Amino acid sequence: MPMGHTATAQAGSGGLTATEHRLANGLRVVLSEDHLTPVAAVCLWYDVGSRHEVKGRTGLAHLFEHLMFQGSGQVKGNGHFELVQGAGGSLNGTTSFERTNYFETMPTHQLELALWLEADRMGSLLAALDEESMENQRDVVKNERRQRYDNVPYGTAFEKLTALAYPEGHPYHHTPIGSMADLDAATLEDARAFFRTYYAPNNAVLSVVGDIDPEETLAWIEKYFGSIPSHDGKQPPRDGTLPDIIGEQLREVVQEEVPARALMAAYRLPHDGTRACDAADLALTVLGGGESSRLHNRLVRRDRTAVAAGFGLLRLAGAPSLGWLDVKTSGGVEVDRIEAAVDEELARFAAEGPTPEEMERAQAQLEREWLDRLGTVAGRADELCRYAVLFGDPQLALTAVGRVLDVTADEVREAARAHLRPDNRAVLVYEPVEPADETEDSGDAAQTAGTDAHEGADK
Amino acid sequence: MEYHPQPTAGEARPWAFPAPERGALSNGLTVLRCHRPGQQVVAVEIFLQAPLDAEPEGLDGVATIMARALSEGTDKRSAEEFAAELERCGATLDSHADHPGVRVSLEVPVSRLAKALGLVAEALRAPAFAEDEIERLVGNRLDEIPHEQANPARRAAKQLSKELFPAAARMSRPRQGTEETVRRIDAPAVRAFYDAHVRPSTATAVIVGDLTGVDLDALLAETVGDWSGNTAPARPVPPITADDTGRVIVVDRPGAVQTQLLIGRIGADRHDSVWPAQVLGTYCLGGTLTSRLDRVLREEKGYTYGVRAFGQVLRSTAPGSASGATGAAMLAISGSVDTESTGPALEDLWTVLRTLAAEGLTDAERETAVQNLVGVAPLKFETAASVAATLADQVEQHLPDDYQAHLYARLAETGTVEATAAVVNAFPVDRLVTVLVGDAARIAEPVRALGIGEVSVVSG
Repeated sequence: MPMGHTATAQAGSGGLTATEHRLANGLRVVLSEDHLTPVAAVCLWYDVGSRHEVKGRTGLAHLFEHLMFQGSGQVKGNGHFELVQGAGGSLNGTTSFERTNYFETMPTHQLELALWLEADRMGSLLAALDEESMENQRDVVKNERRQRYDNVPYGTAFEKLTALAYPEGHPYHHTPIGSMADLDAATLEDARAFFRTYYAPNNAVLSVVGDIDPEETLAWIEKYFGSIPSHDGKQPPRDGTLPDIIGEQLREVVQEEVPARALMAAYRLPHDGTRACDAADLALTVLGGGESSRLHNRLVRRDRTAVAAGFGLLRLAGAPSLGWLDVKTSGGVEVDRIEAAVDEELARFAAEGPTPEEMERAQAQLEREWLDRLGTVAGRADELCRYAVLFGDPQLALTAVGRVLDVTADEVREAARAHLRPDNRAVLVYEPVEPADETEDSGDAAQTAGTDAHEGADK
Repeated sequence: MEYHPQPTAGEARPWAFPAPERGALSNGLTVLRCHRPGQQVVAVEIFLQAPLDAEPEGLDGVATIMARALSEGTDKRSAEEFAAELERCGATLDSHADHPGVRVSLEVPVSRLAKALGLVAEALRAPAFAEDEIERLVGNRLDEIPHEQANPARRAAKQLSKELFPAAARMSRPRQGTEETVRRIDAPAVRAFYDAHVRPSTATAVIVGDLTGVDLDALLAETVGDWSGNTAPARPVPPITADDTGRVIVVDRPGAVQTQLLIGRIGADRHDSVWPAQVLGTYCLGGTLTSRLDRVLREEKGYTYGVRAFGQVLRSTAPGSASGATGAAMLAISGSVDTESTGPALEDLWTVLRTLAAEGLTDAERETAVQNLVGVAPLKFETAASVAATLADQVEQHLPDDYQAHLYARLAETGTVEATAAVVNAFPVDRLVTVLVGDAARIAEPVRALGIGEVSVVSG
């Protein structure tokens, strides 16, 4: 277990530190001490997500994540949930395009239990995995899909836009929830093979953050995880790189029972981890983050053509990120009118760039978001894993905010000029139809479609 | 791998819910402050005693529009300028109206607290309520209503309130108003509501975060201390009554792939000594996916992604208030199940309730629930925002500042028998109003067959 980095705070890290270690079986470990509250967060990222899935088995990574809570060698049934919650902890797991994470936040004195539980399922899940839990969790996940996507107005917008923005056959063409048909088709043998392929210590990063004794914590990790054999069966995911620009405007009109017209669009943006991605983040914030953004001021305040208008950023490391526009129209306003205003604002911004005040506001907003994320032990543990898995260096999590603050107005303007243009977007237009008659089999109902690409084990 | 026995817990480290320091400014504003080392994002919660039942007849939603308008311009700044200044601080400001009153919530990095608190003070002291801004907020609110109506969970909540409370009670109607009432709201109505119900002497500010090096007294004096206003007589509080005759209302959604369930009634609030037992019992019934409901409906049958039971205070009154009215909580079970499974899921749900009433909770269940509810406290209150929200809830519910701190000891003392009695009383099988938002053609008949109450169908 050679010590990679020492616990000396780096410039711009706000005094936070992290140390890195590696077990002989390849498990990477990141520790960060913080004794303000008697809690400790355990976070385990497996380097597998929906981008690793193959045709006909979409949704398998997420379905598998559910199976990780169904018992393992020494843990019966729902024991994982029962033991953590019974120890005063909280827990969950989520699956995205690029990774699957599992996390527990525990009162300090129960930390060892969380490590034991994570190690037990990493090392011995297949001892407990059976047809009964497979069938049960298949039904649960299908109901998750119905609840979060199919029975909600605009609920499948994210899925539709992703499918437009990433071409057929691209690893990010489908979202983590998967299709009903593929969820039905998944077999117990698929799940077993998935575990054998991806759930190895050398394909994971474990972070522990909070009120911990690093030496004692490392000793527990060595004790519980150290004997799990590594293995190298994993195939790299299909290449997700794409040209910088889509090169044409892709478009789909959806006629569904929704409460209002909507204009949504996904712009192709630089990969996460690059300075250009941070610049794009600031551009989207100036244009569509919060209540003083250009689009909010234009569409909601001045033109009064929209009930809500904003931009979000889906950061992706293994494929272009997505800038996510979401505008719900007011009253009977036509989408054309909204679209013309959006294009005008984007073109103006690309030409002029942000004002100094806009830069200050956008950077202040992103800085607060980082403070929020790093302000809890669980948030910090997750970010440390993220940077370790996706970029090979957990220390980058502690200095991320400094990089956002370092971006210049010129770089923000350049990001907008290069990417926020009509020939670099997939557009989704919603046109409401009257309530369905008996033959209509699609769902109905409301809420804003988010860019939240995470599927959780628990609601 | 080499198996090791399950480890035993180490020695618990002490933790207590933080005790705030209470004081008042010369303008009558009550202030609760709480230093939380390390929490760089400070949370400020301001409670204004402007309850929904104070809204004038026919103007439901005026409290909501007023709350939103607080951040839409002042005597010094236009709406756009105000939003820009606030975001320049890296702050977020939310403001919403509910039955007990209006809550204004600010979160801001401590380095910019002074500036942001100054803006909030300006909003409270001298909101512009400009005619065109109010008109815009009204239009925006009208646009939101169809979206809420279309959302199955929101639609169910709206129907349940309508069913439970008498038509004349404010609680029976949507918190943010209906299309008809919102349409009537204008700037003078908002100004009148503000003048009548917003003043420092009936307001409380809660400030939580790492306040190292912050001269809070000076900061308060030059921001919210500058807000003045008269005093007001205490408002009479109407009693809360509800008709919980067991029945089923189907809100028809032809073609829906799931049915949204909301099963509820009203019960005790935090002033009632049964509260800790009710919390404990409700957790055992449906607090998590290993609770009784999900153990069957999710983990055995796969009917749902999750069903939860909960108790949520609607409004509380000060102990010994002149009207003698007491507060109440909404007690409910909520979740969604696939359309086909609606009948079987409800049948199982009622079986769970009947079994609970007949056999009670087990000691092991009670023990796990206590361990969880008490043990998660340090996690739950790690951020300044969560501490501030709980302190403000206590103020709004007329509870002492140390209520939450003592609740943990009371939970730990609550026995299995008490928890059983409380949850069985909270969810009696024949006194539950069931709202189902789903495809009536497919679910009404199977539900009628269950005999859990008369079934009626209303349009979606």
